[in-house]
Amino acid sequence: MELTTKYFGQIAYEAGDVLYFKDGLFGFEEETQFLLLPFADSNGTLLCFQSVTTPGLAFVAMNPFSLKQNYAPRLRPAELKAMGVTQSEELSFYVLCVVRQPVSESTVNLKCPVAVNEDTGTAMQTILEDGGYEMRHRLSEFQEGQSSC
Amino acid sequence: MLILQRKPGESVLIGDEIEVTVVSVETGGRVRLAISAPKSLTILRNELRGAMDANKEAAREEASPLALLELLPRQGDPETKK
Repeated sequence: MELTTKYFGQIAYEAGDVLYFKDGLFGFEEETQFLLLPFADSNGTLLCFQSVTTPGLAFVAMNPFSLKQNYAPRLRPAELKAMGVTQSEELSFYVLCVVRQPVSESTVNLKCPVAVNEDTGTAMQTILEDGGYEMRHRLSEFQEGQSSC
Repeated sequence: MLILQRKPGESVLIGDEIEVTVVSVETGGRVRLAISAPKSLTILRNELRGAMDANKEAAREEASPLALLELLPRQGDPETKK
């Protein structure tokens, strides 16, 4: 199948590549299918969630563990069940990024990660209760070793 | 702002149609509330509103995402502490 994307032009994809968000993303509840596409030269740390239904809609995402090695997202029991796993460690996590001008003002949302079950393609965005994470961490926080947030 | 004290099982009424009941207070300070209100009213945890706003910002970037690569910690070199 072919898809026109926001950042990568026309691409080919397979049905098995699609991630299914039963409830969409917060504020985008009707958007339930995304592809997770990596940017070249980013070593897998910079990606985007490209909507399958809306070519112009894509969310820049990062691997949170590359920013903060001790990031420890914990889903609630009902969320784990919906994701088809028994513990959060079985899932992959990505955080959405707001790209600002100047770029040094860019932020990541560690409080609302996207959890992905790589085996089933089930995905969801959640709001973490614990861990003291914020919705707008400036990327510059993470540049000099580990931050203490 | 009105501040009230309520115990589990007690409630407050807001207008004629909204009732907020304290169900329980759990260790760690978490409070369970039951809200009875007309279906036409939207009830959101306030951080959900924040999460929606944050996603809307994320959907319209102001610069090329590739510019972010310069800001990321260098890969394969995780221990940069002095």
